[in-house]
Amino acid sequence: MKGTRADPMEGAPYLEFYLDRCAAQDDLVPALSPLLSPVVPYDVYMPDPPSPDTISESHLEVKDTSSDFSSVDLSFLPDELTQENRDHIAIKSQHEIEDNGKTQNHQNKLPLPSEQNGEVGLHSSSLSNSYAHLHPGAADSAQPSAEKPTTDALPLVAMTPMTPVTPASECSGIVPQLQNIVSTVNLACKLDLKKIALHAKNAEYNPKRFAAVIMRIREPRTTSLIFSSGKMVCTGAKSEEQSRLAARKYARVVQKLGFPAKFLDFKIQNMVGSCDVRFSIRLEGLVLTHQQFSSYEPELFPGLIYRMVKPRIVLLIFVSGKVVLTGAKERSEIYEAFENIYPILKGFKKA
Amino acid sequence: MPGGGRCPDCGSAELVEDSHYSQSQLVCSDCGCVVTEGVLTTTFSEESNLREITYSRSTGENEQVSRSQQRGLRRVRDLCRVLQLPGTFEETAITYYQQAYRHSGIRTARLQKKEVLVGCCVLITCRQHNWPLTMGTICTLLYADLDVFSGAYMQIVKLLGLDVPSLCLTDLVKTYCSSFRLFRTSPSVPAKYVEDKDQMLSRTLQLVELASETWLVTGRHPLPVITAATFLAWQSLRPSDRLTCSLARFCKMANVDLPYPAASRLQELVAILLRMAGQLAWLQVLKLDKRSVVKHIGDLLQHRHLLLRMAFQDGSSEMETEKKEQQRQGQGRGEEEVGHSALDLSKGKRPASPALLLPPCMLKPPKRTCPTPPVSTVTGDENISDSEIEQYLRTPQEVRDFQRAQAASQAAQSVPNPP
Repeated sequence: MKGTRADPMEGAPYLEFYLDRCAAQDDLVPALSPLLSPVVPYDVYMPDPPSPDTISESHLEVKDTSSDFSSVDLSFLPDELTQENRDHIAIKSQHEIEDNGKTQNHQNKLPLPSEQNGEVGLHSSSLSNSYAHLHPGAADSAQPSAEKPTTDALPLVAMTPMTPVTPASECSGIVPQLQNIVSTVNLACKLDLKKIALHAKNAEYNPKRFAAVIMRIREPRTTSLIFSSGKMVCTGAKSEEQSRLAARKYARVVQKLGFPAKFLDFKIQNMVGSCDVRFSIRLEGLVLTHQQFSSYEPELFPGLIYRMVKPRIVLLIFVSGKVVLTGAKERSEIYEAFENIYPILKGFKKA
Repeated sequence: MPGGGRCPDCGSAELVEDSHYSQSQLVCSDCGCVVTEGVLTTTFSEESNLREITYSRSTGENEQVSRSQQRGLRRVRDLCRVLQLPGTFEETAITYYQQAYRHSGIRTARLQKKEVLVGCCVLITCRQHNWPLTMGTICTLLYADLDVFSGAYMQIVKLLGLDVPSLCLTDLVKTYCSSFRLFRTSPSVPAKYVEDKDQMLSRTLQLVELASETWLVTGRHPLPVITAATFLAWQSLRPSDRLTCSLARFCKMANVDLPYPAASRLQELVAILLRMAGQLAWLQVLKLDKRSVVKHIGDLLQHRHLLLRMAFQDGSSEMETEKKEQQRQGQGRGEEEVGHSALDLSKGKRPASPALLLPPCMLKPPKRTCPTPPVSTVTGDENISDSEIEQYLRTPQEVRDFQRAQAASQAAQSVPNPP
C-alpha cells in the first residue's frame, strides 16, 4: 500500500486497485458477471483487457467493463464456497461498482476489515504463483504497486485458453462467449423479391433453390433471409443489440428499395454460446451417470448431447472440454446452463 | 347360423351354412335365398385344415394395421432373422416399431425413413440387450445412408423416450475379432499368419482397454480402434514373421473391411506403447521405434497399469510442478496458449519427463488462436446513416447493366449450341 493519506476517500482507491489486481489474477472473478440478473446491460459482459495507458492514467479504470453489481444476490453460490472466497467476491463486487461509478457516489464504499485483507492477500498470493509465469513482469504480485500495470493481457474470457489451476471454489470462473444470435422480425408488407435482388448489391435470390432473398451486410457481419410475406430472419450477430441493429439495417435497405417496411415483433429466437472448461472429459462416464439427459453416440457424433431441463438448453460436450450451448432465448439461460453443467463436468475431470 | 343375420327376402332368422360345390354359403332355410356366398376365412390356408396360427400371420391384423406398417413389421422380422438374433429380440423390436407408428410424425414420414426405422428398432433392441451391433452393419444391410439413419435414430429415441445403453466395447471386440478369417490356413492365409483365436482375442481386449484408458476411444468411432488393436495383437504374437505385413494387407487377408481412421488409431496406439516402453528399464536401452515396440507388446501389456501411471501424469499436480520448473528457468516463455505445449518445450530439456495423458485433440497445438472479440458497445438503437445503407444499393445505371447482363446470359443459355 502507498503511504498514508489523510483523506480516507483517497486512500481507498489504492486499496481498490490492489484488490482489483488480486482479483484479476484470480479466475474466480468473472464468475459474477454471468450470474447477474438481466438488469445488467448486456454489453457489459465482455471484459476488455485494459491497456497499460489507461491504467497509469487512472487506477480506477482498471477494468473497462462496467458491471453494475448493486443487486448481486450471492445465494446461488454453492455451500462449499469458502468464507474467504465469499469475501473475495464481495470485495470484488464492491470495487467493481467503484470502478464504473462515475455517476454513482461512493456510498457502496467497501468496509474493509484488516482480516479480510489478510485472507485475500493470502488467497491471491497462492494463486498468483501459478500465474506468475503468465506475468513475467509481476514477480511478486502479492505486493500492490499502483504504478505497475496489471499485465492483463489476461482477459478473463473463456476463449483465451489459460493455464488451468485447481480452482479454490466450485465457481467456474469461465464465461461462455456468444457466437450466434438468430432473430426474426416482421416488416409487415408484401415484398417483391425479384425487385430486391435486382436493386440490392448484397442480395442473392435463387427461387428454384430457396424462396427467399439472402442478404448480407458488413457491419454487424450478419446474414438475413427475407421472405415475400415480409418476414425476415437475421443470423450471425454476436450479441442481442448487434442482432437488433442488423435487423434494423436490413429493414432500412428494404425501405430504401421502395417498400413500406416496418419493424414489428423483433424477437430473439435462438442464442448459441461456447466455452472451454480446459480439462478433458470422460464422456462415457457422463452418459452413464446422466443417462436421462445425455445422448452419446460416438458412431454418429464425437460429442455428447446433453439436454438440460432447467433452463431448457442443449449442450454439446466434447472430450477436449469444449462446450457449445444452444437453444437459449436469453443470455442468462446460457450462463445459467453453463454454471449448472460445470460442477457435473468437474466430476469427470480425472480419468 | 343362429344369432346373426336375417334373410333379406323373407326376414327369417333361420340361416344355415351349407356348401355348394365346396363353397360354403349362408342359405335361408325358409325361402332358400342365398344370403352370402363364401365366408371370410380367418386363415390363409384352407379352412379344412383349421390350423391355429398366430394373429400376426392371420388376416385379422390386416384390418387394423396399415399396409406400410405391415411391410415394416415384416422387414423387422426379416432383419432379426438375418442377424440371427434371439427370439425375444424380435418381439421387442416389433413392439418398438408399433409404438413408433402411433406417432403421426412417423406415419406421415417418407418411405425411406420408414425403411430406416426398421433398422433403428432392431438396433435399440440389440443395445438394450448388450448385443454388439454397429450402425454401420445395419446401414449396410438396409442399403441406407448413415445420415438418414442417424436422423431417424435420434428422432425415435427422443420420441419414444427410450434409454439406450452405450455400445458394449468388450462384446464388440469379441464379435468383430471372430469375424477375422485368420484362424485356419487357407490359400490366402499362409501358415505363419494363422493365429489362435483365444490368444488374439485376449490380447486385443487388453489393447482396447489400454486405448480406452488413454483417451483414444472417447469421442471416436469404436470400430477403427478395434481394427488397429487386432492388428497389433496379431503382429505381436509372432512379430518376426508378421512385422512386414501392413494393416491394409492384414485386413484384406482377413476378409474384413479396413475403416479409414484405423491407420491413424494405429499410430496413436503405438505412440502410447512407446511412451510406456520408455518406463521399462530393459526397454529403454533398446531405443525402440514404432516397429520394434511391437515385439514387446506382451511385456508392456503385462505391466500396463503400472507403466501407464509412470509414463503419464495428468491433472494439476503435474502442471504445478512444470510451472514451477518454468519459473525457475526464467519466464521468457510468455504465456503459452495451452499449458501442455509449454510442457512439451520443457520435455526437450528433460526427456524423461512424463507426458500428459490427454485426448489427441488436446495434444495437438490449436490451428489458429481464438481472438477475444472486442467489447461491443452497440445498443441496437443507433442511428443508421443513409450513406451506409446506400452502399448496398445499386445505382440505376448499375441496375440497367445488370439487367442487360442477365438477359444476355439467359439468351446464351437458351441457345446452348450457337452456330
